[in-house]
Amino acid sequence: MNRLSRINTIWRKELLDTLRDRRTLIAMILVPIVLYPAMILGSLQGFELQVSKLQQEEYTVAVLAEPVRAWLRHVIDTDPARQPGATEDMPAEELVEKAAAGELAEDEEPELTDKASPGEAAQAGVRRAPPDYNIEVIKDPNQLAARILDGSVHVGLVLTSPPPTADGTDTAEVVLYLDQTEIRSQMAASGLDGIFQRVADDLLRQRLKREQLDESFVIPVAVQQETVATPERVGGSILGQIVPLILIVMTITGAIYPAIDLTAGERERGTLETLMVAPVPTVDLIAGKFVVVALIGMLSAALNLISIGGTVYLGGLGQLLSRGGDVVIPIGALPWVLVVLIPLAVMFSALLLAVCSFARSFKEAQNYVMPVMVAVLIPATVGVLPGMRLEGPLLVMPVTNITILTRDLFTGRFDIVAILWVTLSTTLYAGAAVAVAAKLFGQEAVLFADSGSIKTIFQRRFFKRSDSPGTAQALLLMAAVFSLNFFLQQALLGGGEVGTLEYWLGIASVLILLFLLVPLGAAWYSRVRITPAFSLRGPPLMGILAALCFGLSTWILAQAWAVFQRDWLPMPLQMEQLFELMVARLNDTSPWAMVFFMALVPAFCEEFFFRGYALSGSRRTLGKWPAILLVGFAFGVFHFSIHRLVVTSVLGVLFGLLVVQFRSIWPAVLAHLLNNGIFVLATREDGLRPALEGLGYGVNDDGLPHTPWIIAAGALTLAGFLLCMLVPDRRVATVTDVPEET
Amino acid sequence: MIKVTDLTKVFPNPDGTEKTAVDHVSFEVQPGEIYGLLGPNGAGKTTSLRMISGLLKPTTGKVHIDGINVTDQPENVKRQIGYLTANTGLYARLTPHEVLLYFATLYDIQRAAAEQRVRQLADWLGMHEYLNLRCGALSTGQKQRTSIARALIADPPILVLDEPTLGLDVLSNRLILEFIRTQADAGKAVLLSTHALDEIETMCRRIGLIHNGRLIAEDELTNLRTRTGKARLSEIFLDLVGATDSVFAEEVTR
Repeated sequence: MNRLSRINTIWRKELLDTLRDRRTLIAMILVPIVLYPAMILGSLQGFELQVSKLQQEEYTVAVLAEPVRAWLRHVIDTDPARQPGATEDMPAEELVEKAAAGELAEDEEPELTDKASPGEAAQAGVRRAPPDYNIEVIKDPNQLAARILDGSVHVGLVLTSPPPTADGTDTAEVVLYLDQTEIRSQMAASGLDGIFQRVADDLLRQRLKREQLDESFVIPVAVQQETVATPERVGGSILGQIVPLILIVMTITGAIYPAIDLTAGERERGTLETLMVAPVPTVDLIAGKFVVVALIGMLSAALNLISIGGTVYLGGLGQLLSRGGDVVIPIGALPWVLVVLIPLAVMFSALLLAVCSFARSFKEAQNYVMPVMVAVLIPATVGVLPGMRLEGPLLVMPVTNITILTRDLFTGRFDIVAILWVTLSTTLYAGAAVAVAAKLFGQEAVLFADSGSIKTIFQRRFFKRSDSPGTAQALLLMAAVFSLNFFLQQALLGGGEVGTLEYWLGIASVLILLFLLVPLGAAWYSRVRITPAFSLRGPPLMGILAALCFGLSTWILAQAWAVFQRDWLPMPLQMEQLFELMVARLNDTSPWAMVFFMALVPAFCEEFFFRGYALSGSRRTLGKWPAILLVGFAFGVFHFSIHRLVVTSVLGVLFGLLVVQFRSIWPAVLAHLLNNGIFVLATREDGLRPALEGLGYGVNDDGLPHTPWIIAAGALTLAGFLLCMLVPDRRVATVTDVPEET
Repeated sequence: MIKVTDLTKVFPNPDGTEKTAVDHVSFEVQPGEIYGLLGPNGAGKTTSLRMISGLLKPTTGKVHIDGINVTDQPENVKRQIGYLTANTGLYARLTPHEVLLYFATLYDIQRAAAEQRVRQLADWLGMHEYLNLRCGALSTGQKQRTSIARALIADPPILVLDEPTLGLDVLSNRLILEFIRTQADAGKAVLLSTHALDEIETMCRRIGLIHNGRLIAEDELTNLRTRTGKARLSEIFLDLVGATDSVFAEEVTR
């Protein structure tokens, strides 16, 4: 039977098994369809009930003197908003005008809340007519605060000047004392605030009339904001902040149960041993299970989304979310969200399977899953932060890229290239996670409780010695280092010290830590032999020759390419300035500092990581050329710039070729060092510029090197390539998988 | 045919020490033969059977099934073996019919042939009445018969049975033993591991006795009787192991 039909058989059986499980059905169907609507509507109605209850209560205002009481009574009782016929949505000045003109009809009842949907009612609740007030006089001003705090008085009002009049010109000063921690005190104060607003408007109008001035006299400038976003876009932007996180949580919630059940659960029930008896490779078993977990995750997220969407839509919650603005839920974006669910579910199912695969029991698996959820939610939250854009390194940032993509789709930003990046990188990460899951799942100590302790899988001394890391291991380390590198670099850029010596020292430390120490540490821990894994063998003469060919020529070609590329992919001014700033300060120091930070450290660290650890790991299962191309491309992506992607990827491939053909990392280090070193020194007076000019090198006004130089450089690169290809292919002995018991 | 040579399995402990579960065990099982593997709990029987069936990799030593090394081609060997595991689990939410068809597909059996094979096994083992009930609702005996049918679904030439009658009532017990006998008579090589001494006495011509991971005796039952001068199997054990080993004595005479 071929692999696909076998996986097909397995996932269909697992799906049947899972769907017959009542617990899965409850988590997947009952919770979203019954519980969420009930919860949302229930809490809304509770909120509404509470608001209208508070609205109907009578509040107590304390004043310090009897005349103030009388004045306040009058103000409250003549408040136009309290007059019959005033509607909730009527602006204050309109109310005043209508009341003045006697236009508020007696029979026009304010709209009752029970006619409106819960969402509308809740929204309207805060804008309804002011509550009733009971006014009390407290003689002792010192009592006021205590009375408000003990709740017997809701708000204190102190008039520090004579009451306002239409005839006067002064400002009356009213101070409202309230307890901000008490909702009743707040409501009483905001009600009074509204009343005084209307009083002030009315008095202002009368005073202006008296002085025969137009209203525009007191409004020299009127600023108004008009949004050009369509209501769909506004709705999308609101949903885009919430929905990605909901989707992630729902996908995980749906996938957790089957992920545990199909791995640790199967082990606990003793069916796993029976299954392993069948002539099926572990990878196929995991692949079949993975399909089911991803499906259930997607299904559960989709059901949740539909249910929440329906509740929001039918319950009128949309208006609440929009705070009364003009908002339309972008129905057109929904199919896209379902598409985004695929990478989401793929990513999380793979992760969950990997984690659950080495758990022996349900309980154990549950313990492992919690940290994973937290670890996933952090990068997910980063993605919904305002201002995050799906570009540059964020395109391939695990989890974060999916959240930003979901948000973008909601606001109608549709970038097919971005979708491809997200899908490709996510597939890669998920593939690596599934491979790890398969490796863990097949471990003897995991399979049989009596076959040694599970601890032995992760303890260093039980790793089998090998000559290269596993492919999945290498890919996962790349993904982890990529994320860490991005965030550390961002932190360094955010320090505001771009280009200073401290900044460069920081960059160098990050490079040494992530690209040198991390892979070396990982190799040491998994008992991978350092010399073969990092190709530390001394270089053959031919290798040095080829490296010299590349190192002396590629910088010219890179320069020429950059000029050519500028025509169709111009570098944003901001980025150019940043880059200049980064280099500018190094220009003031000795040329050796420049060589150290921009050539020596990168050449060593990056080559150790990419052409050492990552290349030997990928080569093991991918084969020579796919591994060289993948690692070369990854090298390009790691430079965090679409503008340098082509050049750095090609360089990465050439360096990879050097390492594979000459079985030594040193030619690549040399070529990398020369390429970067000559490039940075070529423009410096105290560097190589005089020497190069002496040789006749120069660039035209665009920065393009003179044609003979480009031709010569091309020929030299080609020579280096031919030297590499002259080396006969050697079969690399494949090593059995690590980790393994000894 | 099963050929086991110097089979050894060492498990690492987290504290760095090692436990030798199976220690240089060698034996052969011929087609048509029922070979009995006998020993107390923790003697290394199950570990040996798992290595023979390709579930565990031997630390050293070799297992050949019809001349194929298990370590080299585990998938091919698994096709030749019907392995009934000791704590055999069935998918509780599937029916025996579904479980059998699922495994038939994993062994590349076409749908029509699989249905026919399921009917045949259900006839032999008397499974028809509960073929379409969920496995979770079956009795121990019914589950065990389903498991045996599962092991035999691909009609393998070799049967490895780990405690096939554990916890069964007399009727189920007899049915299953008779069934195993007919399978051996049909030319299959059967490796039977059990606690039940009377079963070994009636079923097996040759037996191997495992104790502390070592095969301490391997012979025909009649020869063992002659060698020890004891008639009953339990007495033969005690004699071979040494009556001082009280734990073992308790185990086998229980």
